[in-house]
Order: sequence, then C-alpha cells, then structure tokens
Amino acid sequence: MPSFESDDYQELIGDQLVTLGKKKRDMLQEGPIELTIDGSKVKFPRVKTIYDPDGRAIPEGWTTIYDAVQQHYVVERNEKNPIPILCHREHMTPVAVCRVCMVNAKTQRGSKLTPACRRRIEPGMEVQTSRTNPDAILPTVKTIVELLLSDYHPPRGENLAFGESGENELETIARDLGIVQSKNRFPRGTPNRPRDDSSLLISVDHNACILCDRCIRGCNDIRKNFVLGRMGKGYNARIAFDLDEPMGGSSCVTCGECMVSCPTGALSGRAVVGDSFPPEVLTSARAVDPEELASHPMFQGISQPFLRWNRKAVVRRTFKKGEVICREGEYGSSAFIMEEGRFEVRIKSPLKSVAKQQSGIFSLFSRFAVGFGEKPGDVPAEGGDKFIPVDAPVALAHGRPVAIMEPKDILFGEMTCMNHYPRSATITAMEDCTVLEILRNVLYMLQRNEVSKKTLDAVYRERTLDNYLRVAPLFSVLTQDTKEFAKFVAEIRPCVKLIRVHPGQVIFRQGDQADHFYLVRSGFVKVSQNRQGGDRVMNYLGPGSYFGEIGLLSRLAATVGTIGSGLRTATCSALDHVDLVRLPGDKFLELLGLHPSLQSRLIEVAKERLRRDEEQWSKIRNESLGNFLSQGLENAGNMLVLDLERCTRCDECTKACADSHNGVTRLIREGLRFDRFLIATSCRSCLDPVCLVGCPTAAIQRTESGDINIKDSCIGCGKCAENCPYGNINMVAVPSGEKAPDPYNADRMLAVVEYKATTCDKCNGVETPSCVFACPHEAASRVDGKELLEWVRQLNAAGKTK
Amino acid sequence: MIVQELHKIQRECGYLPAERLKKLSEQIRQPLHRLHEVASYFPHFHLQPPAFAEVKVCCDMACHLSGGDRVRKHLEGVAEQIGGQKVNVKRTSCLGRCDGPPAVSINDHVYWNMSDEELETIVRSAAAQQPLVEQTIGTLAPHWQIDPYNGQGHYEAIRRWADAWNADANPDRDIKRMQLGDAILKTLKEGNLRGMGGAGRPTHEKWTNARKAREDVSYVVCNGDESEPGTFKDRDLMAFAPHLLLEGILVAGLVSGAKQGYIFIRHEYQEQIAAMQIEIDLARSRGLCGENILGTGISFPVEVFVSPGGYICGEESALLEAMEDRRAEPREKPPLLELDGLFGKPTIVNNVETLCWVPAFLAKGGGWYRDQGTHGATGLRFVSISGHVAKPGVYEVPFGQTVRELIFDLAGGMSGGRKLKAIATSGPSGGFLPAVLDLTQVSPRFADRLKKRGIVSADAVRLDILDLTLDWDLFQRDCLLGAGFVVYGDDADMLVEALNCVEFYRNESCGKCVPCRVGTQKMVEMIQDLLDGKRHDDLATLHDLAKVMSNASICSLGKIAADPLVSALRYFPQDLTKHAKGL
Repeated sequence: MPSFESDDYQELIGDQLVTLGKKKRDMLQEGPIELTIDGSKVKFPRVKTIYDPDGRAIPEGWTTIYDAVQQHYVVERNEKNPIPILCHREHMTPVAVCRVCMVNAKTQRGSKLTPACRRRIEPGMEVQTSRTNPDAILPTVKTIVELLLSDYHPPRGENLAFGESGENELETIARDLGIVQSKNRFPRGTPNRPRDDSSLLISVDHNACILCDRCIRGCNDIRKNFVLGRMGKGYNARIAFDLDEPMGGSSCVTCGECMVSCPTGALSGRAVVGDSFPPEVLTSARAVDPEELASHPMFQGISQPFLRWNRKAVVRRTFKKGEVICREGEYGSSAFIMEEGRFEVRIKSPLKSVAKQQSGIFSLFSRFAVGFGEKPGDVPAEGGDKFIPVDAPVALAHGRPVAIMEPKDILFGEMTCMNHYPRSATITAMEDCTVLEILRNVLYMLQRNEVSKKTLDAVYRERTLDNYLRVAPLFSVLTQDTKEFAKFVAEIRPCVKLIRVHPGQVIFRQGDQADHFYLVRSGFVKVSQNRQGGDRVMNYLGPGSYFGEIGLLSRLAATVGTIGSGLRTATCSALDHVDLVRLPGDKFLELLGLHPSLQSRLIEVAKERLRRDEEQWSKIRNESLGNFLSQGLENAGNMLVLDLERCTRCDECTKACADSHNGVTRLIREGLRFDRFLIATSCRSCLDPVCLVGCPTAAIQRTESGDINIKDSCIGCGKCAENCPYGNINMVAVPSGEKAPDPYNADRMLAVVEYKATTCDKCNGVETPSCVFACPHEAASRVDGKELLEWVRQLNAAGKTK
Repeated sequence: MIVQELHKIQRECGYLPAERLKKLSEQIRQPLHRLHEVASYFPHFHLQPPAFAEVKVCCDMACHLSGGDRVRKHLEGVAEQIGGQKVNVKRTSCLGRCDGPPAVSINDHVYWNMSDEELETIVRSAAAQQPLVEQTIGTLAPHWQIDPYNGQGHYEAIRRWADAWNADANPDRDIKRMQLGDAILKTLKEGNLRGMGGAGRPTHEKWTNARKAREDVSYVVCNGDESEPGTFKDRDLMAFAPHLLLEGILVAGLVSGAKQGYIFIRHEYQEQIAAMQIEIDLARSRGLCGENILGTGISFPVEVFVSPGGYICGEESALLEAMEDRRAEPREKPPLLELDGLFGKPTIVNNVETLCWVPAFLAKGGGWYRDQGTHGATGLRFVSISGHVAKPGVYEVPFGQTVRELIFDLAGGMSGGRKLKAIATSGPSGGFLPAVLDLTQVSPRFADRLKKRGIVSADAVRLDILDLTLDWDLFQRDCLLGAGFVVYGDDADMLVEALNCVEFYRNESCGKCVPCRVGTQKMVEMIQDLLDGKRHDDLATLHDLAKVMSNASICSLGKIAADPLVSALRYFPQDLTKHAKGL
C-alpha cells in the first residue's frame, strides 16, 4: 500500500496544526475563483479555512458551493441561506448523502443538480439556488424530505435532549418546505428497527435515524473515539457501535458528540450528566443552570443543548479561607474557573526531600543544564531562582514554592483534567473564594469554543507566558537580570503563536526544513529518529522543555559545519494533548543575536544533544535474541548486574545503597535473569525513559549522562513509579514535618508522612556507585545492554554459560 | 488489507468470529467499527457460522423468466425436509450464468443449466458436508477476432514496446514513455475504442488524462466485477482469453507509467480468477509482467483482487472504495478517477473487454477495428444474450447489428414458440423496449436519428424493434446500450418484470444516499401495490419518485433504478390495467 507520508505538509489553520497533502498545499497557493451565485458575480478562494461552531479549525479545505453561498448570503448580506442542509454541518467533512442541499450548477459540462455541501466551486460555474430556480430544485428536495419522513418515527421517551440546535432538524426542514407528514405520498415504513437503551446516558432509536452520518463523523473525525460506524447495506443499513454491540456495552466513552450531532433525535440524551462529580462535591456544591452559563462570559458561543446535556458538569463551589480546593498528587478529572477571591498555589517544601544535596561531578554538569533531560530543576541554584512548572498560570520558585492566583488568571487544573495527570500543586483559598468546577467535556468545549479560547489565550499571552518563560530552563540565563528578562519577554510576546496538537499528531518530521522553534506548554512530546535499523524514541519532552532549535541553529555562522544542515534531525509528535508555544525561526535567530549568552548556551546544548544521539545509536544494535529483547535489555543504558556464579547473596550491595541514601535502599537484589546474570531491581537508565511521561512538576528528569534523577519538587503522586515497566521506582514515605490530629484520639497529634518517588541515582555520578564498590566478590557491575550481551557471548564462546 | 484479512479469516473459520475480528483490530490497529462496517456490508462475508449448505438462488431477469422463484421454493422445501437448519436457502442477485438459468450458488460453487433434481442432489450432499463438484464453462476457446494470437499469449505489443524502449538510448524515461505512448493512444483514438462496460467513454481520453496527471504513483484497475443481470461476456473473455486482458493492462500500465495494476474480479467467477492468476504467473515467469519487464527497467506488477461481492462494486468509484478497504459506496463525481482515484492517485479504470481489445488494436490497427461495424456503425463488441431465446450465450458482433440479426441469426430465434414482447438492451439498466415502438413515445431527437439513418421511413410513426440497429451513436443518451441483451416473450408480464428489476436495484443499493436507499424500497412497495390493484390513481407519485432518483442519486445505480418501471408504464399500459381490474 502506498505511503502518504512523503506528501505530508504541515499547515497552521487557526491555531490547529493540520496535515495537508501536497495537492492541497498547491491549491492553497492558487488565486480566487470567479463564479456566479444566483446571478451575482462572486470570488472565493479555492481553499478555505473553516471553524466548527466550537471554534476548532478543520483541515478540510475545499471551498464548496455551500460555503460560497453561505458567505455570499449570510456573512456578506446577513440574509438567510437558501440551501437547506441536513447531513452537512460546516465543521464536518461533507459526505453529501441526504441530498437536500441540491442546487443547480451550470458548467461547461452542462447544467445539473448537484449537492452544494460537497461540490467544489469551479471557475465560471453558475450556481442557482431555489431563489432563482425553484422549479428545478424544490420538487426534488421536497420529495427527498418526504421519503425521509415516510420512514421517520420520532424518538419515544421523555426528557430527550436533542442535538446541536436543540430542535428536530428534519421536522424543521419539512415545515420550511411546507411538507405535511399526514399527506406523505409514500408508503409509511413500519417502526421495526431496533432501539438501544443500554447506555445510561444516550438512547439510540434506529427508527428515527436517517443515516445522515453526522454521528459517525462526530465520533471518528471530531472526537477521534472510533466507535461508531455504519453496518449492513442498502435499505437495511444502520449505525452500529464497534461490532454492533449495544451502546452501553461498546467501547463508547459517552462523550455525547453523536447525540449533539444528531439532527433527528435518533441519538438523544436520556438523562443529564450527573454522576461524574463525586457525591461529596455534589452535596456541597450547586450545579449551575445552563441558562445561567449561557450568560457567563466564558461560555459564550457554546451550544445550549451541549450545556443542557452537561448541566451537572459545572458546579459552583465556595471555599472558606484556608480550605483546600485541590491537593497535589491527587488524581482528578476537573478543572477550575476562578470567580472570586485569591488562591494560594503551593507544593510542599522541597527541602524535606530524601534526596541528598547534590555534589561532585553532577553539580558541575548541572551548571550547564544541558542535554536530553534538560528540565526546569536543572537550573543552577546560584544566581537566578529555580522555578517549578505547575498546572496553573503561575510558576513556583524553587526556594519558596508558593504563588497567588486571582480570577483574572481564569483557569487552573487543565492538565489534570485533559490528560489525567495527578494534581501538580495544592490550591488553598486565601480568603472566601468561589470557583466553577468543570468536567472534562466542558473544558474540552471551552478549549474549542472560539470566545472562551480567545479569553484563555489572552490570559496566557499576558500573564502565563512570563511565568512560563521563567520556568523554561533555557531562559534562566536571562532571568538573572530582571531588566533583560523583561525586555526579552516584551520582544517575544507578540511573535509567539499558541498551538494545540492532538495526541499522536506529528509536529514535524525528520528531514523537513526547519522553520520554527517550539516550547512545550503542556503535555508531552515524543522525539524519535529513524535511521537504518528502524525508528527509535530518543526522548520525551514535558512542560518547560523546548525543541526544534537544532535545525535553526545550523543557519548561524558560528555553527557552520558543526550542527546539522538546516533539516530536522528527529521527528517530534504529540504523546497526548499538547499545547505548544511556537516562535518563527527568523525571530528566534534574531533574539539569539540580541542575547549572546542565550545563543552560546543553546549551541552548547545542541551539540550535546547531537552527541547524545550518536552515543545512543552507537549503543543500539539489532539483535534478535528473544529473551534479551523481551526483557527490554537492549534499551538499558546502565543497569546493575550481578554475576550469580560469584554472588553469595550477602546483600552488601543493598546495605551499601541504604547507607548512602538516608537508610532507604534504592535497589532490590532480585529481578529478571539473563543467562547467569541477575538484573537487580534498580534503575536501568533506559534509552527510552517512559517514566518521564506525565510528571506534573517535571521533577523526574534525565541528566546529560543519561541517568534518571528525581528532583526535590516531587510531590509523591506516583505517576513515574506507575510508568516504569520494571518496578524500579519506589514511593518512600518520609516525615513531612507537619502534624495532624489522630482520628482515634483527638488529644494526640500524629506526624504526617508524605511520599516521594525514589530511584537509583547512580550515587550522583561518582565513578563507582556504592553498590558496586561494596560487593566483596566482584559480582556486581554496572553495564549497558550491549555490554551485557557481549559478556554472555564471550562466556558462550568459552562454554561457561548456563 | 482489511478485505484480504477478512477473506483469510473466513477461509480459516468459515465465517468471521467476533474474537478474530477483535484480534485483527489490534493487529492492524484499526477500530472495530471499521472492520464491522466492511464485514457487514459485503454479501460474501458471514458474521455468523453458515449452514452446511448455503444455497443462493438467482432470481434476476433471465433467471426470473425461467423460474428462479420456483426453484428457490423447491429448494426451500428440500431444506425443510433435511431440517436441523443444515440448509439455508435465499435469493441472491445475478450470478453471471444467465445463459443457463436459473443459476444457483451452493457454498460458493455456482451451478447452472441444472434440473431441479440435480440441484436437489447437490444441496443434499452439501448438507451432508460432502465435497461438491465444480461446474466449469469449458475450455474450448471460440475463434474470436479480438484475439490476434489465436488463443496463445504472444504479448507482441509488450515485446514491441520493449524493443523500441531498449533501442532508444535517450536517458529521459518520461520522454521515451510519452513518445511510445503517443503512437498507442493514436491507434486507440483512430479506432475509437470506447468503454465496453456500457458508459462508452473513449479509452484514449482516460489514458491521456491519467498520463497527464503525472504523479509519482498511479494505478490501472481492470473492472472485472461484471454483476449486471444479463451480462456475462467478461466471464468468457477472462476464461478463454486471459492473455488479452493481461496484455491490455500491461499496455495501459506502460502508457500511463502506472506503478501497479489490479484485476478486480467478482468472487463468483472462481474459474476466471484462477485463469487470470495462472496467466499472470506465466507472464511473470516470461519476464512480461512484474519487475523489469523484458529488460526495460520498467516494473509493473499485476495482481488479482477478489471482490467481496455486490453489484455496486462494478461502479468504478465504489470498486476503488472496496479496494481501499471501505464499504463499496460510490464517490461523488467529479473528481475524475483518472486524476483522483485509488488512494487519491491517478487511476485508469477500464472494463475487461475494453482492455481485451487493446492487443487487437495494436496488432491490426485502429482502422481495422473501425471498419468492422455494420449499418453505418464502427467497431466490434461482445454481447451476452439471454432470456426467451433458443441459444443464449456470448457473441462477438459488429456495432450496428440489428435486433433481428441478434435474436434470429445468432441466438437461434425465440424459445418455446413465443412471440417477441420486449427487449432490454443493457440488462435492467436501460429499461425495456417494446416489440413495436411508438415513435411519439420516444424523444424527438431519437426519432429523428432513426429516420435520418433510414431505419424507419420519414413518415413512419412506429418502429419494428427488430429493425433497430444497436449502436451507441444512434442511442446516444436516449437509450442505454450495454452488453446484457435480454429478450422477453409474449408471456412475460412487464410490470412483474419491472418489479423484478427494481427489486434487484433495491437489494444492491449501497444505502449511502437517500434517493436510492429509500427510493428503491418505496418504489418496490408501490409496484407491489399496483400488482395488488392498489394505487392505480397515483402514478404521478411514481413518476416523481423516478425523476428524483434519477436527478439526485450519487451514482448510476440510483439514477437508472427506476428505468425498468418507467419504461414498463410507458410501453406496456395493458400490463398495468390488467392488474387494476384485479385480473
């Protein structure tokens, strides 16, 4: 099967990065097309950028007759669009199955009825709608609507919430065309199609379905849930979930998009969403009426049915001074819109961490904070302040991780809500506060809806960006000088573009011309390279990281011959919902010119990154040793290996580890075996460190030596421990220094413990880690996968293996 | 990928178990509904374990005339006798054996020309899970003018191309291809080779368009999904002259610079699938097909793609959809497939016969072909004749032949001493023409052309249909001329036959667009009403519906689905009134 990748072309439509084929790119460059609509000469571009009612840009870019007519009548003249639509909505890819949008189009090939929603405009085309040629169009359209009505049985049941427009679109069109169901000329269909009430939220009545395909596109194209499809053929075709499972038993996540898309109520809301908030929230809070939300400034432009359907997905909560709104480390599925009061953002003081003060070689490296694992915490303490990114429009200083938010900051908790990460900080009411707590559906809609998106972006630009740039370690050289930093922010602010990338979408591909520089605002970006020998994930970049600089830096005179050739050296794609800050390449280079310290720093980093790439690749060899591969050993960068022929199980290694880490061991002398070697349960420094993904405070990082290091800003959420496939990250309880009343004895105060993630730190870069050093039998060593394999080979050759 | 994988699972398990679909979904990383959409759409796939004997009886046109319904009822009785749900009998659409009606498919083996008793024996052995005999159409190749090689695969056109290519030292392959292609296109244009699937679009035009599209990847697809009732000429061409088809595709591939050729064949043509496969393997072993054709460095592999079933797959854009692993639902046109076809790439889609003619064109010249017509028409074609004639079958005939010559000279006259009542010139698609055509009932343009050609006299008001010459230039858009010629004797009730045809379209509608999906069903119900003596005062609604289906449907299936009814109402009012009286 052919590959389309060579034709991929990234284009920013609105704020959505979309992928266009080569053909569409060529079309984008064409001039406008002249045609006539109902006798008026008009001009429209061949390719359009469209938004759905929720403000999301859609990559489908051909200008259709319907688009042109809509622009001509509705936008330019504020008149009603004479073309009825049923299977089509402007935010969907047209499929032209219902045929009610027929218009008469005259081209060189003659004059004929054509579906306006799908037919592209052509130069010289003469379009007649029912305004100028009713005789050619209306009888056909009326007959089609009559056909649909003859088989249509309105959905049964009470309190059914209808789709997007809140009305039965089929009946509305019929009324507009003057069709009376009782006078329908066609034999009435019997309502013998099934009805599916298996979902608690949405009822499916196939007798009301007209197979317009809107729910299917909603499910697949818009929400990317890939559950709904059509089944069967011809007159017996109908919609189906998965392998025609009942909706409630299918993989449907009940996002409601199908219901919102349905024009006839075949898919309708059975009840309102009410069970998603935990009961304790619902007892203390009041659901906000959809009517009230409709007048709320943040909710402008969101459809009424959507708000009605999600009527219990927004609650107003009040908090007294000192009450906690959300707590770091907890999982949640909601975000918060601030209405009143001031809010304190804090993470527990990092000083109580179990980590030892960094010393020796490591701190030397950290001065440059370079390499793959570059993350906020790598910024040196001396000089500037270190900042920790959290899931709110503020950044926390490392020394004093507290900040204040106000209603003008609008929203916090987005990342937890969208990507299911744990809360990154504890938010406490500083005075009596009011918030709107919203569930994922609603946040998703706010991010798609044009009005609220603008508000959110404006806040971001004005306030969050400053904080964000402060957090980004790259710019820490600038933050030391307040004036220079302020100047820098002022320069960068107008040029950045905020873009959003869907899970799995490619941001750029290896080999592309480098054109932009990116900073990760939220979510995770996967960096992978393809060389002979296949694809390889090189890194995961979380909030606060940057990428895309290498291709740009090669344009500088200072780097000629040392950094690449202006092409992308890796493919970057989104791992989850990713928000990026994008800076045009020219502007980026201009800024570097103005800030030489930044430039030299970046060049250092880039060289280091390239060197690391080479090193990683040189470690990789294609081996087909099943056991070796199945244990993921080829991916190990540095693991503790015990030769079981020598090991006497004395456990000196474990003791040594505990001794050097405040009495808590970070290795367990047990684990997988490969030939005569035991791979101890201890961090392997994977080349593909999945543990990094999802850390809410970017506390877990990879250092330039490739080791995994957990910083003081760890809030103990356990995400990394959950991610590690080998169980090498442990959650350790440590005293927090706080006390709380004993629940069983009110007179007594108990010490509160908190959790920190710990993993082997290779004893912070000393030449021989204590475990290896301590082994009295020379059984322990630290090696990478390649070396281990080589050992086993040599032993094999010498006939000394198992 | 999906279609082939489903074929594989079905071969293994006899049907598509849900667990296997779930596993497949994980393997190929496609959502479940994508697999189910495809699996539930094509009639070839079973989602439930099939009976020991899956019996499908064709009841379209010729099979309907010769008692398909009766055979079905008989076999249903047999099934009941056997019991235990071992036998499942149902109606199916045309199996392409209209010359031996009624055709019956038993566990995907197709049988024809069989007595009820013979069929019953086969059904019983299938129910007892015994192996079934294979019925073949024979191996004796007829002497056809289409075959310049007399049954042997000489591939002279390919050899000539290769010689010229290798002799030319010009390093620019594109220029070489254009130069060599120009000569071939000129020959096709000179003889005016047109699409023999029925649409009659000039072949050189399609090829030229595809060649101009100049994309890095393009395809040639041969449409061998011949599923129109009454049409079975491609069946014989593929069985007897696979070398012509393969050479035709190879030439199309060389001229257009395509990367890959496919032959899409309906799954009921097992014999033809095997013949093409053997021919492709043979040609590959002789270096004529595949990598580096005859040392030219040009690669053009050809593959057979077995259709998962359905008449709609014969609609060229639906065919491509099926090849792209989707429900075979026709695309909106434009864009033309030559510019935006398979996987969005330029694609030449040609009928089997069209491609089969290419070697003869290149061997004997376009002028030779053009001179083959008769009664003022040009060229040769293949026609399949069925229905109430003595010798139904496939015939190579000149364009312009009269209906009389076709029925009486070739097909041995009417069967069973019947008188001619009606003909269908393109299976069910063009509707029916009566034995005597009232010229006031046809379009004035058509009547004029008949007069100009001297087929009727200038003052004639009627045409004896036997005098009609079968020629695209005469028919133009007023009448459809396809390869399925079906003859109805005077005992046929044309309203019943119209219902039979509209039922076929209803059964084969893909269900994508409303006018066709709902329209064909309503039309079937309304014709049944007419046969029951009801609704005779409301023919206007039927005519309105027919018009809307023709105006607003996406593809030709919906556009022409009402034609059999409209023609029956127009030309055979007596067959309508007799039902009105309740006779």
